[in-house]
Amino acid sequence: MQGVAVTLAIFFVTMAAFLALRSAERRLSARASTAPARVPFTGGRAPDTHAWNRYHVRYYPMSLLFLAFDMEMVFMYPWAVVFVDEGLIALIEMFMFIVILLFGILYTWRERALEWA
Amino acid sequence: MSALGVIVAVVSVAAAAAFGAYIAAWVDIVLARAVAGVPVRPLDALIAPVSWGAAVALKARTTTERPDGETWALAPALLAALAAVGLAAAPLAPGLLAADVASGIVLFGAAMALVVVAVFLQGWSPNSPLPMIGGYRFIAEGLSYEIPLAVVLIAAALPARSLAIAPIVVSQENLWNVIRQPLGLPLYLMAALGLAFWGPLALPEGVDLAGGSSLEISGVSRILWRVAQLMVLVAVSAMGAAVFLGGWLGPLLPGAAWMIAKTLVLLVLLIGARHLVARVPTERYVIASWAILIPLSLLDVFIAGIQALVAAR
Amino acid sequence: MTSTLARLASGAPSRCFALAGAGAGDVGPWLRLDPSVAIVDSPRAADVLLVLGRLEGEMLHAAAAVHDAIPPPRGVVVWSPDGWSSRRWPFVDAVTVRDASEIAPACRRLRDDLFRRRLASSPDALPDLDPAPWRGVGPFGQGGAGMTGGVPYGRPLAGRADDRDGLRLDQILVRVGPFLPPFPPGLLLDVRLQGDVIQEATIPAPIADDAGASGREGPSGAPVPHGHPARLAVAADSPFTTALTRPVPIAELELARARHHLAWLAEALRVSGLEAYGLRALKLAFGLDLESAESIDALDRWLRRNVSLRWGTNRVGVVTRAQAEGLPGGPVARASGDDRDARSLDPAYQRLGFEPVVRGGGDALARWRLRVAEARQSVQLAKRSRTSESTPSGVIEDPRGPLSDDVPPSAGLVALLPALLVGMEWGDAVTTVVSLDIGVIDPAVREVTSEGTGP
Repeated sequence: MQGVAVTLAIFFVTMAAFLALRSAERRLSARASTAPARVPFTGGRAPDTHAWNRYHVRYYPMSLLFLAFDMEMVFMYPWAVVFVDEGLIALIEMFMFIVILLFGILYTWRERALEWA
Repeated sequence: MSALGVIVAVVSVAAAAAFGAYIAAWVDIVLARAVAGVPVRPLDALIAPVSWGAAVALKARTTTERPDGETWALAPALLAALAAVGLAAAPLAPGLLAADVASGIVLFGAAMALVVVAVFLQGWSPNSPLPMIGGYRFIAEGLSYEIPLAVVLIAAALPARSLAIAPIVVSQENLWNVIRQPLGLPLYLMAALGLAFWGPLALPEGVDLAGGSSLEISGVSRILWRVAQLMVLVAVSAMGAAVFLGGWLGPLLPGAAWMIAKTLVLLVLLIGARHLVARVPTERYVIASWAILIPLSLLDVFIAGIQALVAAR
Repeated sequence: MTSTLARLASGAPSRCFALAGAGAGDVGPWLRLDPSVAIVDSPRAADVLLVLGRLEGEMLHAAAAVHDAIPPPRGVVVWSPDGWSSRRWPFVDAVTVRDASEIAPACRRLRDDLFRRRLASSPDALPDLDPAPWRGVGPFGQGGAGMTGGVPYGRPLAGRADDRDGLRLDQILVRVGPFLPPFPPGLLLDVRLQGDVIQEATIPAPIADDAGASGREGPSGAPVPHGHPARLAVAADSPFTTALTRPVPIAELELARARHHLAWLAEALRVSGLEAYGLRALKLAFGLDLESAESIDALDRWLRRNVSLRWGTNRVGVVTRAQAEGLPGGPVARASGDDRDARSLDPAYQRLGFEPVVRGGGDALARWRLRVAEARQSVQLAKRSRTSESTPSGVIEDPRGPLSDDVPPSAGLVALLPALLVGMEWGDAVTTVVSLDIGVIDPAVREVTSEGTGP
């Protein structure tokens, strides 16, 4: 319980400290808030549109593969704790699990789904 | 559970993070001078981070035409908070562990997973094309280093039969994990470079994006972002020292001194990588990470598993 | 509080954002050697705007926009050996510098004065007008004509476009302006991106300076001499320009060539993330003399052993043999297997047994290797040549390509960009553009290149 309390305290105290430092900056110097100062910088010419857009995230096949491996990771966490007690059978079962997922990587790599350019 | 204990823990982690970030900034300047072949003058370089900070702090804060103000303010604070939590999960000495949870590895992994969110927000919030590209690139990078990072930490947890960090350090009494799990530390360091978006994996902030997610920031916000990045470097170095280099174990000196020394060794390695290894091309890095690094990390788990079984016989 | 900070800040290098115009030559990159000055990649990170050379028309407007992007306190330092820019000079109280060696101290002094409030921050150069009035129907600018409801907060949202994998997502236009750091100064490139992959890159026509002035006057009122357009791309005091008409010692030419290639290497290493090692190359270039061949060898060995550099440049930005034959010559063509070199036609070089360095492959790695090899060859030629002099023939091999009165050295390279960059990821595109080593682009020069590429 102490550990969880400390973790949360550290998280929120650090976040609050940084946010406070950021707002304290206002006292130090004048704000730059004229229209020409706000133009996003791409070399000197003004942009045509907002930058936010339906960005073509070309690595989306990789992110699906990541989901599969993320779930494998989740299962490996408790497996690591009981592994030695369970013995060789635990190793073999995890080996089978991982090999199935490795076939997934092999398939993705062969289908060139990891490339995008 | 005592309030005093919590306060002491928070203050000590904050002090360690601040001190570590300053040392990291100093080491960066010293190593840059050494690689560039200019006179190093390390004592002069001690004041350089302060001079830099003072020069940057005097500038006004910039904003863009239509940014997302809340997330832009949140991003450096979130990154620093996650780095602090990661640092808190690493023990300094046998009884001195700030975040004494039963699954320190999971806590560290969770904190580091959210780093992707913080860096993406920093790139996306200004509503400017180049930082936005940097943010999206970092997600590709982040998803790619995440699995090797988690898996090599699990491999280190196998001989300890526990996900808490203190038992992992104790399990290295006979042999450090860097020797009995040789794939572990190199893979961990590669992922650590990505976590801190440093050096070869500085994709969101690359020179090809003219600074990327740092392009539109100025003033104190710039300092905060840089300090948060250095805090992440310190946190991953500390965790690496605990999990792979035996933490507080070592003859003669007190445990805390060993822990600090090992953290500094890893810190110097990570910072030096920036000056000696070029930035990776994004797409090729993703392919290499999935096709080579992840299978290697899974091999590392098997080696560790077989060793643990043999040791248990 | 601010005075303490100002005193502490005086120990840090002054951060300058450098703009290079006509006549700037290679002064900008050499400033990186000075520890009191830090050339930054973004105006948001700068204290001082450093204007090197002469800027005209659209470049001057862009310079004003960059100036306004610098957060206060800010100042401007100007160095222009060719005379002044047009009389619509947008910067108030710019510090003018006569000699190139005075640039770094002037930047440093200006920064200190600004921080200690001895000088006022430079005011905005452009008027404070919203980019476009926006009026939707609702309270947040939403609603109105079209799906996106008009132009929220001054700008429309990006529209969709087809892509090669069948998804119709948004495509944004990034106006890579004249002064975006990894790109050569003066290059205007309109890049259409979907995600981080370039779908189309075009070179827009420069907007003519519509001042209607018959002559250009600088702040002092003196008229500016019009240099020949081709020579504007090369520094006025470069030995290569002199060698067009007069014999110049080969040692001088070749050392200048080696120096140029090493300075290019420093910049290319910086763009690859190895800024410290690039500084080492720059120092070697600065102190280059006839005995430097071993140092260049050591540099070359380090580059060959560095696998990460090869990873970033191998098979990136391939210039095919056909494209290379369309160029007038130069290192880019030689890296694609084309062995044209103006030095092969010079009897003085033939007596020295000169053979041009040629590489196959045509990718960025080949161009890197070629330039380092040429630098080494140049130092050896300089050492062997003793007192021989080049033969003036109207065409001279500049480090970027053949230079003559009609044709600037990087002719044809800019025209190659639209075809080369399509389908490339942004990082690869920057690696390609840097590996082409295009010089400072002057709008007058651009008109010459669009008419043809010379002999």
